[in-house]
Amino acid sequence: MFKYFQSAILAISSLFILSTATPALSADQSLADYKYVLHISDMDPSKQELILNNAKNLLDAYPPGQVEVEIVAYGPGLRLMFAENVNAQRVDSLSQSGVKFAACGNTLKGMAIQLGAEPKLNPVATVVPGGIVRIGELVKQGYIYIKP
Amino acid sequence: MGDKKQFKRALISAACTLAFTAAGTTHAANWLMLQGTEDPAAASRAEVWGYVQAKYEKDYSEPNTTGGFVPPKLLGPELDSQSGFNIPRATIGIRGTGFPLDSRVNYFALLEMGNNGVTYPGGAFAKLIDASVTLSYIPGARVRAGLFKYPGAEEGLQAIHVFDYINFSEASNGLLLERFPNKGFTSCTGVTTPCNAATGNVGPYTEAQLQGGASLNTLNTPTGAFRDVGVQVFDAFDVGNDWEVSYAAMIGNGNGVEFDNSDGEYDKYLYLSGEKKFGGKGARAEGLKFFAWGQWGTRLLDLTNDSTANAKSYNRNRAGLGVKYLAQPFRATAEYIKADGMIWEGPDKPNFYFTSTANGNGADAKASGWYVEGGWYIPSTKFELDARFDTLTRNENRNDQYTFDKWTVGAQYHFNPKTRVTLNYEIRDFECDSGLAGCTVPNTNLEGVGNKVGLQLTMIY
Repeated sequence: MFKYFQSAILAISSLFILSTATPALSADQSLADYKYVLHISDMDPSKQELILNNAKNLLDAYPPGQVEVEIVAYGPGLRLMFAENVNAQRVDSLSQSGVKFAACGNTLKGMAIQLGAEPKLNPVATVVPGGIVRIGELVKQGYIYIKP
Repeated sequence: MGDKKQFKRALISAACTLAFTAAGTTHAANWLMLQGTEDPAAASRAEVWGYVQAKYEKDYSEPNTTGGFVPPKLLGPELDSQSGFNIPRATIGIRGTGFPLDSRVNYFALLEMGNNGVTYPGGAFAKLIDASVTLSYIPGARVRAGLFKYPGAEEGLQAIHVFDYINFSEASNGLLLERFPNKGFTSCTGVTTPCNAATGNVGPYTEAQLQGGASLNTLNTPTGAFRDVGVQVFDAFDVGNDWEVSYAAMIGNGNGVEFDNSDGEYDKYLYLSGEKKFGGKGARAEGLKFFAWGQWGTRLLDLTNDSTANAKSYNRNRAGLGVKYLAQPFRATAEYIKADGMIWEGPDKPNFYFTSTANGNGADAKASGWYVEGGWYIPSTKFELDARFDTLTRNENRNDQYTFDKWTVGAQYHFNPKTRVTLNYEIRDFECDSGLAGCTVPNTNLEGVGNKVGLQLTMIY
């Protein structure tokens, strides 16, 4: 009886761990025919607009549901996902259209040290442990890698 | 004086009301906000930029009856010829944020290397004309410190590289583009170097004298360039329905692009604008803007005709209001400027900063001027047509009251948004019009002031 109880606890715990460990940006179940990961790590502000334009153009180029787009930001490029970013409205709009935004947790920690507090991110951004790792995962899942 | 105080109070009151009642800030396209307020989280650490202007001008004025020329008949800043090529502006600037993670600190610096009233009088190869840091930590009260354009008239406050004419209106040139009296007292008698105009005058000079080295431009410090060194508190507020209200209050040395404050007094500036925004961004943002401004200061000047340095402090006050409309394909601007004290002369006598005692003196004279201008961007082409009428009355109600009227008609061709060529033709009617004896001599010089044509290429990078 105790063994069954132990197994049940173990199973429930495993399920809990699995469910919490699953990234919010899981994409491998996507049914889209085309999947793109767009990478931004530049300081250059013009790259921010460019990558948002790229995302918009990709959405426009395919029928609804046929394309999956995720923008991954790390390093200086993470400023794109700051709540105060001048392009925040466009980020929100693209998010509502299905574009995903991944913010690098490592970069965030580094910035918090420099600023004395963690910068406030746009609520549509999901923090991933490492931006570069996230890109690797997506590429492995078949995403086409683009760095504008 | 009562009117002035009321105007000042109204500006202060309006600015305070805005500061306490308006909610939120915008990053709108107006001259106050176009520098030092980079886009949040999207500013470069250092963005290099600048502009170059190359021009050709020809002045068709005639000399006076004895062959002498005065400044309005010659091309600046040298004032020794009636036609020629020049590079009036060649700048290199840098702007951005030193610490890109913090959008609330921005800087702006600009170096002028063109040949103009800023660089020529001091004989400088280059002159720093902007060097400021803007802090945006206090909601509704951004702080800018350093050397920068003071809040004031549209012609002065707007970016010069998008200015639609080659030359300023006479009111802006004569009343706002400040010429500073030579600092040290020097009698003009027997000297050819810059001297105190009160004791004498130079010119008119004949062509031969000018070619022989005679100098009509005896100013020894840069023009004010619509700038000052000091601190400004300012911001812009979105007040709903696409209306934006901006304010600025500044205190500065009152010495243009020079860094000293030799008289120990400070100039004060107030500015208020309300704009219905139609769209666009940057220097060509579209909207309907109403604005009013004032500035109050003092200047030291030695007017006595003796060999003793005994400078006295004179008030220098300016105020104005105006309206600007821009919505493609049309543009229209009107502006009125009022001046009290330190009225720069120069019309009939070269470095004639102030008139002779017999005629009263520009140091405590009054002046006013206005202009109205419009532009038409010819649809589906790269051409633009411009026209402006401006007038200036200086030394109002004095024996030597002058009225300068000027029509400017122009055409511009925009090769691309950052490169254009501007053709201007100026029709000038300058005269001393008090009807009194004080006008006799000035008019012998002003009667020959003729028209002027200019062609200018502007490139922004």
